[in-house]
Amino acid sequence: MSSLTDIAIRVLRQREVGLLLLIIVVTAIVSTVDPGFLAVGNLKDILVRSAPTAIVACGVMLVVVTGEIDISVGSLMALLAALMGLLISRHEWQLSMWVGIPAVLLCGTLIGLLTGTLVTLGKVPSIIVTLGLLTALRGATTLLMRGENIDGLPEGLQSLAKSGIGGLPLSVWTAMGVLMFTGVIITHTALGRRLFALGSSAYAAKMTGLSETRLKLFAFAYTGFLTALATVVDVPRLPKIESGIGNGFELLVVTCVVVGGVAISGGRGRLVGVMLAVVLLTMVRPVLTFLDVGEAGEKWTKAIQGLFILLAVITDTVVSRRPTGSARGPVPVKPSSHLESEGAPA
Amino acid sequence: MADPLIHVDRLCKSYVGVHALADVSLDIRAGEVHALCGENGAGKSTLIKILSGVTRSDAGTVQLEGKPLPAGDVHATEDRGVIALHQESTVFPDLDAVDNLFVGCELRKWRGLLLNRAEMRRQTLALLERLGENIDPTRPVGELPMAQRQMVAMARALARRCRLLIMDEPTASLSARETQVLLQLVRQFRSQGVSVLYVSHRLEEVFQVADRVTVLRDGHHVDTRDIIDVDHAELIRMMVGREAAELVGRHHSKSAIGETVLQVRGLTRSDSFHDISFELRAGEVVGLAGLVGAGRSEVARALFGIDHYDSGTVTAAGQRLPVGDVAAAMKHGLALVPEDRQHEGLVLPMPVSSNLSLSVLSSLTRCGLVSRSRERELVQQQISALSIKTAGMEVAAETLSGGNQQKIVVGKWLASRPRVLILDEPTRGVDVAAKAQLHRLIRQLASEGMATLMISSELPEILSVSDRILVMREGQLAGELEGATATAEQVLALALPEEREVSVSS
Repeated sequence: MSSLTDIAIRVLRQREVGLLLLIIVVTAIVSTVDPGFLAVGNLKDILVRSAPTAIVACGVMLVVVTGEIDISVGSLMALLAALMGLLISRHEWQLSMWVGIPAVLLCGTLIGLLTGTLVTLGKVPSIIVTLGLLTALRGATTLLMRGENIDGLPEGLQSLAKSGIGGLPLSVWTAMGVLMFTGVIITHTALGRRLFALGSSAYAAKMTGLSETRLKLFAFAYTGFLTALATVVDVPRLPKIESGIGNGFELLVVTCVVVGGVAISGGRGRLVGVMLAVVLLTMVRPVLTFLDVGEAGEKWTKAIQGLFILLAVITDTVVSRRPTGSARGPVPVKPSSHLESEGAPA
Repeated sequence: MADPLIHVDRLCKSYVGVHALADVSLDIRAGEVHALCGENGAGKSTLIKILSGVTRSDAGTVQLEGKPLPAGDVHATEDRGVIALHQESTVFPDLDAVDNLFVGCELRKWRGLLLNRAEMRRQTLALLERLGENIDPTRPVGELPMAQRQMVAMARALARRCRLLIMDEPTASLSARETQVLLQLVRQFRSQGVSVLYVSHRLEEVFQVADRVTVLRDGHHVDTRDIIDVDHAELIRMMVGREAAELVGRHHSKSAIGETVLQVRGLTRSDSFHDISFELRAGEVVGLAGLVGAGRSEVARALFGIDHYDSGTVTAAGQRLPVGDVAAAMKHGLALVPEDRQHEGLVLPMPVSSNLSLSVLSSLTRCGLVSRSRERELVQQQISALSIKTAGMEVAAETLSGGNQQKIVVGKWLASRPRVLILDEPTRGVDVAAKAQLHRLIRQLASEGMATLMISSELPEILSVSDRILVMREGQLAGELEGATATAEQVLALALPEEREVSVSS
């Protein structure tokens, strides 16, 4: 095998490198077509659009790392948005922001806990539980809103969400905070290591005395909490709250997690990869706009995002099938020293 | 005599009405190596699981230095210094060595909020060095060879203040040389005052390392003896509860050797083996010996078409087999019973019957539907022919003991009536009686004209079953020996790397 393919494989195995290259190439192409793509306003727009996805992906990534999945975050966002509207809009119950927002965060966490409980104690596969919740929560939202949109959120919250602090809206600051916090959990806490351990081998985890129930409850509750957080900081940007909020959001988040290199079977994945995937997938729409494909742009966004999933899975398969990889089964060991085995006879 | 470190009093445990342990009492002294022997299903695994806090007993107590151990709590048990290395590898394949060593008992800083990564890394390196292993601590452990994974699991126990180390079949996946290194480590543990409960089917190891031995049979405590008071045959007698003289000695009920059915010429795969040539004739058993990592399994996998090879030819019954085509190999009468039966040989959650008929489903099919009655007939036949112990043909394969699972794997391939049978470590983790049955089965198949290639890391097995012995060393064929006259020393001499210190003790 030529060393060039070897290098290519090694590079592709680092998902982050591939994603970064893709982002750079796409940006380069689009900005030659229209330099306006690199305008501060546009870059900021991409950042703002990716913020809620980034926040929630931090949670869903941890769920996937434990070997489970959550495809209900879109509907959960809609329900929590409706709840927030009901609680604090001046046309509804007019509660103080300082009561309403903690209530929304608590509610999101509790629904996450409920999901986790059904999965761990109820022993229902998470794909089924969250598929059920995807529909049920959307239905609950419709009931809660009685078919009407809600506006009139507190001015302060709206302006924080739109223009924000230091030129960046609240959602971007929140995303940065959540990212750092999640990063610390993953690399610097026992909790994070144990989540990965559980996803890597449930059997070994059991034999080590790790609590599968507690770890998975945390992952789901954290996802619920982050979905609530994303709702609170991002939804007030919109002129009004509609029942269709978050439609397809759950799939976008899962796509980011998978494209970002998190193994769907659990145990493997890096936050940097997921975040690059969030940026890449958020770019799809603005890129199509700048390429001026007109009406087609709207239609192609989803198709292209879907293609990324397939691309990610195919790269995974092709790359790991190469003999240099860590295929299952016996790995040849030379009983000789490392130096000798390096120069193995051809 | 001083008080025992561990006092096990009248433990009972049953699973769905079957007694796994009945009134088992046992003392483990401080600083002794205590061997635990018994056939599969004797209750060893259950005892270990209770001792290590993985499961609770139905009745009875375990005391450590006079104070009861918390039941069913792995954490608390490990905190008291009782640490188990379980039979199935309990490493986390996606985590690196550092995380594997410390997950569950992480070193922390900042009032326990954050991990002390630097310190964990430092201790890991020190421990691996103490084990004499050159392991890259940043590589996912799943990418390491089996022997090194085992070392990581050992290091995990070392990382804790260990009073009793429980080792369940620790050498099952190690070569002879690596086994000696491990036994040396066990002695090192003992000299530091750590007690070791050593569970192994390999009796030679028990005699080499143990101070005392306890035998379990069918969930009952048979006896505990000083090792110097028992010999090999007596130990086997205690385990099987019957005369087992037939287990020892060579078979060599010479079967008629027929024509060549498989010819391998110059088989090469650059990263694992080079220029492998040999022939298999009808009615002979050829043993393929060598150290773990010599490339034996790789050769088997390549010639059966699971993996690709770079050059060379495989010819079965005059027909050259295409590279990397399992279906073609099967069509030409080849069958492979893989080493890793949990992953490659069995569909564990599926019933015994489906596992046995899986390889011959097409011959049981009429008008596109599987004939259940013909399947039942075939399965019943296999179960009795191989004397598989199962609660029925519809129970999940994973509920059977290791030896019986292995028999199913063999039975599954025999159902397809192969002419060439490749067995990769056919008796790994299997108890003495089942091992003898499998050996008899292999000889019987040979006398019926089957050509068998048997990979094994156990020298007695190679010597007792083979007509011819091929020895591999570092990816090459090192030599061939006559089965009837070969000695363990000859095989080992060929298998060990040249110009190298053969002695293993430090």
